[in-house]
Amino acid sequence: MLLLLPLAIPVLGAGLILLFHNPRAATRLALLLGGVEIAVLGTVVWQVHTHGELQQGRYLRADGLSAFFLMGIAIVSGLVLVYASGYLRHTGEGRFSSPRWFYALVFLFLFTMISVCLSANLGFLWIMMEGTTLASALLVGFYNTEGAVEAGWKYLIVCTVGIAFALFGTIVLYLAAVKAGMNPASALDWVSLMNAAPRIALDPHLVKLAFVFVIVGYGTKIGFVPMHSWLPDAHAEAPTPISALLSAVLLNCAMYALMRYDAIVSRSVGPAFPHVLLLIFGVMSMVVAGLLILVQRNLKRLMAYSSIEHMGIIAIGLGLGGPLGLFGALLHTFNHSVAKSLLFFSAGNIRHNTGTLRMDEIQGISRTLPQTTAALIVGGLAIVGLPPFSLFISEFAILSEAFAQARYLVVILFLAMLSVVFGGFAFHFFRMLCGEPDRRPENSKLIPSEYIAMGMAALCVLFFGVRIPHVFGRLLQEAIAVLQ
Amino acid sequence: MKITLDILQVLMLILGAPLVHGIIARLKARLQRRRGASIWRPYAELFKLLRKEELVPPTSSAVFRLAPIVLFGATVCAAAFVPVVHASALLGSRGDFFLFVYMLVLGRFFLSLGALDGGSAFGGMGASREALVSSLAEAPFLLGLVAIAVLATRADIAGMVAWTLEQNIFNISAVHILALTSLAMVILAETGRMPVDNPTTHLELTMIHEGMVLEYSGRSLALVEWASAIKLHTMFALLIALFFPWGMAFSVSGWGVVVALLLYCAKTAVLMILLSVIESAVAKLRMYLVPDFLGVASALSALAVIFTMWVKR
Amino acid sequence: MGLVGIATEKILSSFSVFLFLTILLLAVARRISSSVLLFGLQSAIIAAEVLATAFQEKLPEIYIVGALVFVIKVVAIPRAFFLLTKRLKTVRDVKASTTPTQSVFIVAAIIYLSYAAVHSYGGAVHVPDDPLAAAISLILTGAFLMVSRKKALMQMLGLLVLENGIFLAALITTFGMPLVIEIGIFFDILMGLLLMGIFTFRISDTFEHLDVSKLRRLRG
Repeated sequence: MLLLLPLAIPVLGAGLILLFHNPRAATRLALLLGGVEIAVLGTVVWQVHTHGELQQGRYLRADGLSAFFLMGIAIVSGLVLVYASGYLRHTGEGRFSSPRWFYALVFLFLFTMISVCLSANLGFLWIMMEGTTLASALLVGFYNTEGAVEAGWKYLIVCTVGIAFALFGTIVLYLAAVKAGMNPASALDWVSLMNAAPRIALDPHLVKLAFVFVIVGYGTKIGFVPMHSWLPDAHAEAPTPISALLSAVLLNCAMYALMRYDAIVSRSVGPAFPHVLLLIFGVMSMVVAGLLILVQRNLKRLMAYSSIEHMGIIAIGLGLGGPLGLFGALLHTFNHSVAKSLLFFSAGNIRHNTGTLRMDEIQGISRTLPQTTAALIVGGLAIVGLPPFSLFISEFAILSEAFAQARYLVVILFLAMLSVVFGGFAFHFFRMLCGEPDRRPENSKLIPSEYIAMGMAALCVLFFGVRIPHVFGRLLQEAIAVLQ
Repeated sequence: MKITLDILQVLMLILGAPLVHGIIARLKARLQRRRGASIWRPYAELFKLLRKEELVPPTSSAVFRLAPIVLFGATVCAAAFVPVVHASALLGSRGDFFLFVYMLVLGRFFLSLGALDGGSAFGGMGASREALVSSLAEAPFLLGLVAIAVLATRADIAGMVAWTLEQNIFNISAVHILALTSLAMVILAETGRMPVDNPTTHLELTMIHEGMVLEYSGRSLALVEWASAIKLHTMFALLIALFFPWGMAFSVSGWGVVVALLLYCAKTAVLMILLSVIESAVAKLRMYLVPDFLGVASALSALAVIFTMWVKR
Repeated sequence: MGLVGIATEKILSSFSVFLFLTILLLAVARRISSSVLLFGLQSAIIAAEVLATAFQEKLPEIYIVGALVFVIKVVAIPRAFFLLTKRLKTVRDVKASTTPTQSVFIVAAIIYLSYAAVHSYGGAVHVPDDPLAAAISLILTGAFLMVSRKKALMQMLGLLVLENGIFLAALITTFGMPLVIEIGIFFDILMGLLLMGIFTFRISDTFEHLDVSKLRRLRG
């Protein structure tokens, strides 16, 4: 029963919000519902932590891994909702530009993503994953400008094709399971597949083929190179809260799906094959994204490529395996979400106050926007992996694992790309921070919610870099246990 | 007895050709809500032309007068290859399908020569277009027949028909469907029908076949027109024999032949209706699109040949 | 066995041939309306195959799937496309980046590759060659259509052909996934198409054309 609540609230809430035409009422309702949802998610996480897995019917299930991701979703979506409540006061043009449509769509989007994390059945997972694309397409194209429409179309097409390939992979896995003698009704159930995994290995080619399609398909949603073409456009043209949600939550959900498949396939045909693929995609994403960061001109595109790079890091961690690799990968999903949200929030502020996102046109914001500057510096240092911020811990863990496994090529590329990215960020940010500002911003009014969100994110990033809370650590351990 | 039947087959193809032509013209007229001429009108026209005086351009050579004769002869020869009521033909086992195709090509070649020899501008234009269409149509024609020949492991047309007769009608094979589509498109190109060429046009700039015969009159024109009708009839018979031959007589008994003849008439009727509908429904392709049309036919027939690799014998 | 039985057998053994014909004709189609008609025909063939499989394997669930395929893909989606083309008032040309001859040769190569793939790897699954090759050809042709056609509507159609291929592959190898999942997949496809339709309207509004090759503002 409990598992239905986090799904019912966003859906019903979306419908409810649409009834309120007054923007402020809609905003308050959205915040209220967001709070309720976060509370419910917290309850679910606590239940899983204390009582073990929860199952609801044939399609919903929460175990340690789901709990960990749900916690991340809860925290980040809370931050995003708070930020959005202030951000939307500056709304641009568009057909659905009223806050009530925005929040309704956001809640639908959250519904699909939470369903992904709560699904017990691979078919249901796929359906909800496609649902995330559909729910967020309108959000990406929210502003209805030329760029937004183009980005939304590309997003829709590329992700739907990618997900279609993932469907094919799911079907092939189902076929392998049924051929190995599993009951067709449970051949898509993750737990049953995990239990029967060694049996499925009787036909290794089918399982490997399935994984190839799955990693290409879900990898499109994650943003692996070369399937990443939708990502920079979508993140740049979407409204800032949506960019944060895409980078921080959606990519994680797609990675979650991939982790589930990786678990089955590793247990079935051995970890060598899937991990090699993960390493290849991870390293490619890191390298290509890292290099492209150097030539970016739009601030949000810069951050989109940074997301691609960090997803590559997570994939490398996953592909290395081992206790530290998994630890680093999972921790990184959380750390990256928080840091990336912080960065996107700062970008949104900059956009409103200077009117542009082109980094060569932004100058001297250290004088005009002091709080945003602070956030930008904190976020920038965090995202390139410097201590004492949290991303340092997770990247260090992954690097240690790579050393332990003597994968020196990975280590060299990893370190090289980190340096390149550091250089790129430093260059771009210094240009923006220093120098004489062109003009005093007219509307530098401080909207409290924006700053609250940024502040909380910054604190989180700092805090987790110094010390991981005990409960969090335990949840992380349980998540790792699920995957092994 | 067999020889007599074979000779009768060829005579039927030759003498029935103007009737086929006339019926198609009448069907098209009806489809266009006109009354149309009588179906026997092509015969009347042939009689008229045979009695008329023949005018020859002063600048032409012997080729001009020779061309219609060679065309007629080659077309009649080609007609002798095709089985109609039973699985053999007059020249059926004397040559394979290459000979059949190139008999028709020989006829077209001489017609082009004659048109060039006539010295008029439209003759030259028609001849050059004809060369383009003919050369492009050769490949799919041959490949389509090759596909069937590979399946039948025989190269002569009569043999291929005999093989097809033995097959089960309900086993639809990919090779046959592709070859049928490709050959149908080739027929449209080879006989100068829409959408490749308009046989009823009077605008010289749109003519291909008509352009080549513009200078002919009298007996030569009669031969040329007749040869073109025979070609259409022969192609129909080929299509029927290769793809829908069931009903052909197995022995030369009286009733078997009569039934086969009736079935043949019925199948030809279906083809005539189809052709009339297609001709009335589509617009003529502009000249630069004709290579695309024939390119598609080539691809289909190439695919048919490739598919023969996977057909289970 | 009865007439239905015979018809079922003939459908099952020879439907892949007609699917090949539809994709070859799709390669040369010059107008959006003919492409949509071909897609409808293709879906009708697949629906017939689904129903034939349901009859032969005696699996009643699959009747529902077949009915869904027919209603959604043969009736609803082509009608939606026609409505869209009428309301969008765009030029109805397909705007391919390859000539018909090149396209048909590419599709022929795709068919050949599918057969080669089935012969090399098809031993793993015990299904007849032709339907599996047809499914793979559909998937590859859908991808080819998406890449080579520059109209937004044609990209949607390419996606639909791709999805047809995946659906067919699922059907012939496993006789369909559990019914609930199949329904969910259909629902997703429908919503996806709805959204793409909405976006098509927006594209034509903001850009005044539907040529997605001209959507190149965002680069780098």
